[in-house]
Amino acid sequence: MKYLRVLILALITLSVTGCIEIIDDLTLNMDGSGSFKYNINLSSSKVKINSILALDSLDGKRVPSIGEIKQKVSRLNEKLKSESGISNVSLTADYTNYVFKFSCDFASLAELQSAIKTIALSENGGNSIPELDHNWLIFSGSQLNRSVPEIAIKKTKEIKNSDRLMLKEGTYTSITRFETEIEKFDNDKAKLSANKKAIMLRTDPYSLTQNPSLLDNTIYLKKSE
Amino acid sequence: MKIFLTALSLISVIGLNAQQSEDLVPQEAASVFSINNINLLQKVSLDQLVQYEFMEEVQDELFDGSTSGKTIKDSGIDFDQKLNIFIGPADDYFVSGLTFGIANKDQLFEVFDDFEPIESKYAGVEFYSSYFNRIAIKGNVGILYRIIPSGNVVDDLTDSIWYAQGNGYRWDDYYYDDHYYEEEYELEGEFEFIEEMETEENTTTPIDEEDNLPEAGEDPTKKTYYELRDSVEMALQNGFMDAFCDNIFVKGNVLTKTSPKFKKQLNSESEGTFFIDNSKNLKSNNDFDFMKRRYPSFYYRMDELYTGNTMSGEIHINENSIEMELDTEYGEKLGSVYKEMTDSKFDKSVLKYIPEDNQSFFTYNVDLRKAYEEAFRVILPIFSESESRDLSTFGLTLELLDEFINKDALFDSYKGSMFGSFNGIQRVKTTKIIWDYDDETFDYIEKEVEAEEDMPVFVFGFSTDRHDIPEKIMKHLCKNMRQFHNMGEYYIVDNAVMNAAPLYIINKNGLFIYTNDEVLAKLYSDGYGKNAISKKQVKKGMKGGAVYARANLSKAIAELPKEIFNSRENEMIDVFRGKSGTLELSSSKSTKTGTSFNLSYQFEGEYDNSGTYILDLINSMYVISK
Repeated sequence: MKYLRVLILALITLSVTGCIEIIDDLTLNMDGSGSFKYNINLSSSKVKINSILALDSLDGKRVPSIGEIKQKVSRLNEKLKSESGISNVSLTADYTNYVFKFSCDFASLAELQSAIKTIALSENGGNSIPELDHNWLIFSGSQLNRSVPEIAIKKTKEIKNSDRLMLKEGTYTSITRFETEIEKFDNDKAKLSANKKAIMLRTDPYSLTQNPSLLDNTIYLKKSE
Repeated sequence: MKIFLTALSLISVIGLNAQQSEDLVPQEAASVFSINNINLLQKVSLDQLVQYEFMEEVQDELFDGSTSGKTIKDSGIDFDQKLNIFIGPADDYFVSGLTFGIANKDQLFEVFDDFEPIESKYAGVEFYSSYFNRIAIKGNVGILYRIIPSGNVVDDLTDSIWYAQGNGYRWDDYYYDDHYYEEEYELEGEFEFIEEMETEENTTTPIDEEDNLPEAGEDPTKKTYYELRDSVEMALQNGFMDAFCDNIFVKGNVLTKTSPKFKKQLNSESEGTFFIDNSKNLKSNNDFDFMKRRYPSFYYRMDELYTGNTMSGEIHINENSIEMELDTEYGEKLGSVYKEMTDSKFDKSVLKYIPEDNQSFFTYNVDLRKAYEEAFRVILPIFSESESRDLSTFGLTLELLDEFINKDALFDSYKGSMFGSFNGIQRVKTTKIIWDYDDETFDYIEKEVEAEEDMPVFVFGFSTDRHDIPEKIMKHLCKNMRQFHNMGEYYIVDNAVMNAAPLYIINKNGLFIYTNDEVLAKLYSDGYGKNAISKKQVKKGMKGGAVYARANLSKAIAELPKEIFNSRENEMIDVFRGKSGTLELSSSKSTKTGTSFNLSYQFEGEYDNSGTYILDLINSMYVISK
């Protein structure tokens, strides 16, 4: 019966396509503080995720249990809370639908990026990551330059080709919100909200792995009167 | 004429006495896989061969470029002799290896180029060594073997010496202090995926990375616990190797001499054979070892029960089929339980729930009641008459349960027979979360909407004569748990399959069925009717023994996920991918001494290299028997 169970799980793992929805949502105040949200929605693939989690290993690698994932999530939460300039950290996980929501407030973009770098280094066993030696969010008061962190580009290159193809059906949405109206922006794929205070860029995760600059944008704010 | 006759008789004597590769298979071997017609392997490259798991003992030697671009034909092996792969546990060690005929020794050592000649204690036998592997050559026959002392034996002896030297608790050693564990914990990462561990070629146990090696002791003349353990392991290994070789080359205690069953099987003219002595594997099990020390008389009665428990089989490669015949043999006591268990009539009611266009299905027909009664008769006295108070108390508990439990209700509810089918991939209803955006502000809210996902459709069921009992349970669950719903003809359990899709339960017509096929539950709860598989298609299963299974490989194999198999397993599966054919497994009725199984793969079209088929099958048996 054990082999039968594994076979059924295996069939499920094969038969369903991966579908992931990601939102990164940055709200920036004029003083450089703000809030950041990062949501991952895997509910379209919950059959697949449940079947993978029920397996001992996949592709020669051990599959962690829900308990282990919960502990990892909790540990990341605690680490972020201890970072300077970061407050109101919240990390909620819905293990029925596999929807994960992270949010925090930050005192400055520099502190937000510093916190993310510290966590990444800590997760890398303290070993240096050259791709972290730059800032991907630069705000001058009237202009915001957004790009994709180089570490994310590096990580996407590590994804196997066959797995990358499965990301085609997902969406990646990047939203940037301001207190004042947006005057103009460089990325012609971006969409301005009706109130002109938010801008959205949307692509699929596969395209992003192929061309990480798809989400690069320079946003110019209207000068306050 | 006289000279001619003398010469002829001399040739006959030499011919009759010439040693064959099977004559060096050691008596310790619990599993032997023989490739009889190794001519089939001539086209197989050595690089391909060494990737099979049964070649793992020599992989380190062969994966060093010495096999590059060569086929087995270039290896110096004699194609007129069998190639025998063996594994087996002895009391204190584990041995594995292979025996083969040698046609050209120079070519052989071009492949095994890491082996160096070593001194031999046996007349007429040459020895070669490479780390822990040895090759012994007698005449034109060779045996390549590796002996690994049992971990328990090494530990016990090391502990004795360690404590006798006046050392403290061995866990105080560097490896076991808290500091070491903390370091490892952080280094590996708490929940990182663990890559498969690779073994070093020059040790029988994996060693850590250089950074993790224990620090040298303060006194360089004194061994740390693990240095001592390595020395003990090495000394034991040398001793066991001597005993192993004495057995073969001095006493002549080889498997052909000690096992008539194995010897008989060697007469087979099939392309490959296998022989597995389950009683040896069972005795080497740690639980059995514990039993032997703690409850000796109980152990001997259990040992008696399992003695003679063997599996032997033949692999035939034909023009359009591959057949594997497997015979299991066992002692009469255990056999009487199997015989009663399989003395069961095929439950025809399952057929109407297997659709004709299924991709694969199985039926399993046993009579648990008869099996229970016979097992109770045979096994209970072993517990009741045991010298151990614990075991005899367990025996009493079994007797009391037998008196108090309503066996009619139990075995009528679950008779033991079951079936299952895989009916391909279908879209099933699930739900998902979406984020709905407001165009004014790009704020978003979460919504749960209906969705569909692809899922393999399966049906499982078991035979029952007491519908009322599962019915009571289902009604109770429907009343008390909100995910259970009584739909009249069937039940629904919300999100029961992978926490996402509903499970349907049908409790009628002598069967208790569970499936994720909505169509079966809603439209065919009394069976598929004319769309069900016919009796004619399952004729073999109905006439045979307990097990029957059939798979349409062109459909089923194509849908096996590559992700869950390693590259070697995928190569084995790839042999069948893209080929149309039918795989059928059937069994005979069990007797008091044995049961036969037949696995048949009927295919259309030609196959490229029959050698890989036989290697794949041998490898599968090896992996299963390990």
